[in-house]
Amino acid sequence: MASHQLITSRRDFLKRTGTGFGMLALAGMSKSAQSAPVPHFAPKAKRVVHLFMNGGPSQVDTFDPKPMLTQWHGKPLPVKNFRTERHTGHAMGSPYKFKRYGQSGLPVSEIFAKTAAAAADDLCVIRSMQAEVPNHEPSLMLMNCGDGQLPRPSFGSWVNYGLGTENANLPGFVVMCPGGYPIVATRNWRSAFLPGAYQGTHLDTKHTDVTKLIANIRNSRLKADQQRRLLDLTQALNAKHLKERAADPALEARIQSFELAFRMQSEAADVFEIKNEPKHVLDSYGSGTHGRQLLMTRRLLERGVRFVQVWSGNGQPWDNHNGLAGTHRKLAGEWDQPLAAFLTDLRQRGLLESTLVLWGGEFGRTPVAEYPALNGRDHNHYGFTCWLAGGGTRGGYAHGATDEFGFRAVKDVVHVHDLHATMLHLLGLDHEKLTYRHAGRDFRLTDVHGHVVKELVG
Amino acid sequence: MRYWWSLLLMAVTVGCTAPDAPSALKKAERPHWAFEPIKTPELPRVKDEQWVRNPIDRYVLAKLEAKGLQPAPRAEDAVLHRRLHFMLTGLPPALDSGKQNRSEVLESLLASPRYGEHWARRWLDVARYADNKGHVFFEEKNFHWAWTYRDYVIKAFNDDKPYNRFIVEQIAADRLKDGNRSALPALGFLTLGPRFSGNIHDILDDRIDVTTRGFMGLTVSCARCHDHKYDPIPTADYYSLYGVFRSSPEPTLAPTFAPAADTAERQAFDAEMAKRMKALNDFVTKTRANIIHTARTRTAEYLAAVHAKRNQPSTENFMLLTDKGAINPYVIHRWENFLKDARRDNDPVWTVWHRFAVLADDEFAAKAAEVHEDLFAAAEMNERVRAKFENTPPKSMKDVVDGYGALFMEVDAEWQKLKDENACLADADAESLRQVLYGVNSPPMIPQRMGWGFLALIPDRPDQGVYQKLIKAVEQWSMTGKGAPPRAHVVTEAEVPVEPVVFNRGNPHQRGELVPRRFLEIIVGDERKPFTDGSGRLELARAIASPDNPLTARVIVNRVWAWHFGRGLVATPSDFGTRAEPPSHPELLDWLARDFIKHGWSLKHLHRRIITSATWQMASTHPGELTKGQGPNPKLVDAENRLLWKFNRRRLGFEELRDSLVFATGNMDSKVGGPSVNLLGGFNGRRSVYGRIDRMNVNTTLRAFDFPDPNITCARREPTTVPPQALYLMNHPVMADYAVRIAGRADLPTATEKRVSKLYRVLFARTARTDDLKLAHQFLGEAPDAARWRSFVHALLLANEFVFID
Repeated sequence: MASHQLITSRRDFLKRTGTGFGMLALAGMSKSAQSAPVPHFAPKAKRVVHLFMNGGPSQVDTFDPKPMLTQWHGKPLPVKNFRTERHTGHAMGSPYKFKRYGQSGLPVSEIFAKTAAAAADDLCVIRSMQAEVPNHEPSLMLMNCGDGQLPRPSFGSWVNYGLGTENANLPGFVVMCPGGYPIVATRNWRSAFLPGAYQGTHLDTKHTDVTKLIANIRNSRLKADQQRRLLDLTQALNAKHLKERAADPALEARIQSFELAFRMQSEAADVFEIKNEPKHVLDSYGSGTHGRQLLMTRRLLERGVRFVQVWSGNGQPWDNHNGLAGTHRKLAGEWDQPLAAFLTDLRQRGLLESTLVLWGGEFGRTPVAEYPALNGRDHNHYGFTCWLAGGGTRGGYAHGATDEFGFRAVKDVVHVHDLHATMLHLLGLDHEKLTYRHAGRDFRLTDVHGHVVKELVG
Repeated sequence: MRYWWSLLLMAVTVGCTAPDAPSALKKAERPHWAFEPIKTPELPRVKDEQWVRNPIDRYVLAKLEAKGLQPAPRAEDAVLHRRLHFMLTGLPPALDSGKQNRSEVLESLLASPRYGEHWARRWLDVARYADNKGHVFFEEKNFHWAWTYRDYVIKAFNDDKPYNRFIVEQIAADRLKDGNRSALPALGFLTLGPRFSGNIHDILDDRIDVTTRGFMGLTVSCARCHDHKYDPIPTADYYSLYGVFRSSPEPTLAPTFAPAADTAERQAFDAEMAKRMKALNDFVTKTRANIIHTARTRTAEYLAAVHAKRNQPSTENFMLLTDKGAINPYVIHRWENFLKDARRDNDPVWTVWHRFAVLADDEFAAKAAEVHEDLFAAAEMNERVRAKFENTPPKSMKDVVDGYGALFMEVDAEWQKLKDENACLADADAESLRQVLYGVNSPPMIPQRMGWGFLALIPDRPDQGVYQKLIKAVEQWSMTGKGAPPRAHVVTEAEVPVEPVVFNRGNPHQRGELVPRRFLEIIVGDERKPFTDGSGRLELARAIASPDNPLTARVIVNRVWAWHFGRGLVATPSDFGTRAEPPSHPELLDWLARDFIKHGWSLKHLHRRIITSATWQMASTHPGELTKGQGPNPKLVDAENRLLWKFNRRRLGFEELRDSLVFATGNMDSKVGGPSVNLLGGFNGRRSVYGRIDRMNVNTTLRAFDFPDPNITCARREPTTVPPQALYLMNHPVMADYAVRIAGRADLPTATEKRVSKLYRVLFARTARTDDLKLAHQFLGEAPDAARWRSFVHALLLANEFVFID
């Protein structure tokens, strides 16, 4: 109990001084903050990248091959279709071919051929994911915040709350989404009742100019030396003010925060200047938006950012109720090369083993076609696929299984809560102990659920 | 299946499942101070009588003396002057405000409209106020008239509306018989919460939460799925309140609350409104009639659908789309619930159904005969059902379905022959069957008033399109039609109040015992009576606002205390339960509560009491804590200042900070009330309380400055100190704009020293001292240009002295 209280009081300190975009260098902040929060046990992963395929990618067209589905193509399934959001009809075989990759022989669809060729043996594919309802909004909330309806903090906020910061000059939780917001917008990365400093900092990666990426990062009127003079006057006033009063951490913290902010203006800007990367690196990531996002991601990770979430785009790009064959190919095509480059790059830099990568959507898609077009798939929360890579996961492994048509997870089912529990475990956090007192109770990311899936750990 | 758990299980957490958790409602065994009646405590004796200015001081000083502590000296006049202004109005003193004596200043600030604007914002944190709904599907995303609630709150504070009346109006203004419609916007307290994609259970949970935590510091919503683990609140009590709010639906069109202007424009507006409402109502009436007709004539299909779903995952929480002409998923749910209730109640109409329905398809043939024999040997049942099945044993579930379907057709035909809407069938058994189709809560009898819930009744996209178009026409005209009057986001009374059942483990599929709509046992004891007046909302409101309620008065005086001192006598203003830290000064809390009730629940009275105390007037630095301290350091005894040996310094909240900047420019707009505006772009003279709050996407500046999440009631803001705040203050263009406006004030003298002095009075509410002038001189140089002056002002705006109140 005593040690728990110690952690609580450290957290209480963090609560007041904050992390998040512009976290404070704790040591420099105040003498009472000798240490950041510590994990519950030795972590395998230190940071997380969540590649969010919003809209819901189809498992049977990407990482969960179903030959039976192809055999039944065009015919009603021999079992009743599970009820999803819309009326669905006959079986729809995948329009893509699968091939085995790597030493592990992991089967992957042709639309992710480059990723598979580069990193099949790093992928820990979970084919038995389950969520709760076949509707986007609650499923996004469940995947990101651990609850479909109620206003709960996001995964990234929890991780920053639990592990603190490694770089005082950068946000601890960065969210990139080109072109604006996914549906339900900032709720996906909210901090809810956790302190506001833990919420995700959203960057519209459609932009390349740093002043558009980070709010108020530059002063448009004053040069650096002019601004320094201004701040020197402020700090002289503050020093006098402080001297006339008894020691007060709140006054001191605010004095420090201006110094940090002043430094961030140059340091935070640097991280987004990807044009300074060598040409071969730029070439490998490609010139597309996702290449740019993933390269920025790598630079953020190198500088100690704890949680980066990268979205496919605004709205719900993967939501292919019709015309799936073309659209899924196009979307995967935009990711495939940058993803291969990103995983390779992380591995080569020795970052992959301590970086936990999650790829997936809020749910998957039905193996049966949706009326009336019958060339797309409806939402499917009964069974879908996510994959993990790096961060101490078991590479070249496929966990669990859906039924023979890929409709419903039947073997070693992994609920979203289990995924969260396992990822926290890899980060050295016990999901039952990572709690926050709010409104008279202790809250958890996993609520009362979640089991660590040991098989996923390498 | 776990899919419903996280939707419906209100998080039970580690803390809540601790093994030593006491069980619910054992009040006698475990007295808890907050549930005991408010006492009339004796005034304690103190040694230093000189220090005491009013009874508050006795309670504070007695505790300090017991610990051997001295209170800090009284703060300097200039400090108190500034403190008083910020405390009551959220604004700095005006330049000419030093001419009155202290009690005149106090009275003029309490009488100023700025007072209500400032204190309303504090209540809006509790009320989780926002101008939009959070995620919803097709309906209007904004609460177009949320501001009418905000203005109601401002006016209530300015008018010093008795707090007990303030409570009753916010819960049941529509039920007050005094015919005063102007209070209708008060109901925004209930309605302006998040909408959870339209999930009714969560919407009601939010209302229960804001009502019980907001007014009584009770976390009743913890009892949604199981008895509260710590506080004596059984789940049954949660569903009693659920029933009250479930019986209080919102109308499709929010009502107006002021008398209509007698103008041609308004008449034209009303005529068009009526036309559009009629189109919508016609569609709703027609659709509803169709659904009811279908539900009565296609019972066999519905029964078959319910049976087919028995082993399928539940879809209650799905948003479903269907094809035109298909039977209605919402009505299927109603049938499911109806049959569950019938089973629980051993309804003799359904005995046959339930005995056969449990058989698996592949065992039906083998077991049916045995079940049949057993059933007709013993079971009590409806005689018409007996007649249908006794001599024709079903061979499959389809036979059962068809049998019931035929029965309902027959009974309906018999009744139709009577050609009298009000007639009943003479044969009681036949009438029981007819009630399944026509009874008040029967599956086909979908409620009249569903507001947007009506959408669930038309799950096919083409009809949804028609409905959306009609409702948009109404919404659009109500919001933007020429001469559109403001409206109030109210709740109303259901035609038939809902009789709530406990949802076991919070799961609406697991319908447990019936509970009456009534108040909490822990407050009113086990002699309590069910509510009898409609939904019971007015009775609920009066029970909360009662002087006999041990929580309500304590909770509000503690909130006000916390807003003055930075910390409540009870440290958790919205949780007075058994897990909360006990009050630091329990007798003082009770004295304040009693005094507050005695003085007509007047908040202005409470402010006067607090502000005129010596406790409130202490300096924020104690001589003992200085480096070269005089006397013992009180921090060594009471590091957190729980005992109040000094006043707590506090940083301005974002609204106060922004308002102070606007005020300092001399261009503050003193207009009170009106629709919300976007304030966070460039300069805007309106006060921050009038800024639009978007709960879907809380403005990043607001969030950076600790604005609370408006999706949930907020007891107190948690101040953080993060560089985005500094970056905003340093670099946001509007900050430069403030500096330009302040430096350019027409009333500033030209001579450098005088100019600096005046700026100090404007920004810090004090005169500049010699060392201040010296620093200024160093920065400004001999002949400062406009840019240098702007930088000077900007530097002062960033200073701690500007944002901290001693």
